[in-house]
Amino acid sequence: MEQQLEKALNEFASQPETVGVLLANRQGLCLGAKGQINPNVSGIGMAISEQVCKLEPNLNPPTICLYSGNKRCIIKKDGELTGVIYKQKPN
Amino acid sequence: MTDEVKKYFNGLLHKVNGLYIIQVTDRDGVPLLRVSQDKNVDFALMPSFIPTFATASEQAGKLGLGRNKVIISMYSNYQVVQMNKLPLILTFVGGEHCNTGHILALEHQLDAHLEDIKLAVNEA
Repeated sequence: MEQQLEKALNEFASQPETVGVLLANRQGLCLGAKGQINPNVSGIGMAISEQVCKLEPNLNPPTICLYSGNKRCIIKKDGELTGVIYKQKPN
Repeated sequence: MTDEVKKYFNGLLHKVNGLYIIQVTDRDGVPLLRVSQDKNVDFALMPSFIPTFATASEQAGKLGLGRNKVIISMYSNYQVVQMNKLPLILTFVGGEHCNTGHILALEHQLDAHLEDIKLAVNEA
């Protein structure tokens, strides 16, 4: 049943510099995670996305990018799904 | 002490979208701390509500998956997240679209703030 989801997660995880990826449903619960990412991040990722959406409520949900050292966290909400991707630049 | 803890829980209540009540009780359902928004969700205070969770959690622990930590109950208008932190029981009541994942992520942060209440309950 989750084959499509697994396929999508594998595809995201195989992108360059990606170290972890997860997908959350509209309740902020983790649907699936791949790589070095804590599934508990799903709820907080979705909360960040909801807050940022309030900046421009009439526009589509934006892509959020949080920078920290050589790591990046990218959050994107699309309909009922929210994706969180961790990227890390090689040293 | 209580004021600080209450302030912290009040902060949490406003951080999580659609969360109406956070209630800390002992295992018998005796309320120890309660913060709420102006929303009438009194069913969470029903005398049978908390002990039922305690029993359900105890039974769930017998499924062979380890100790039960959290029970999430989804209703048509509300959702209730109950955490087993014996001797305390935490009850979160939110709307049906409330961010459940966010409530669950709070679990680890809460422990430090519950220490004093736990101590008081253990001594009583």
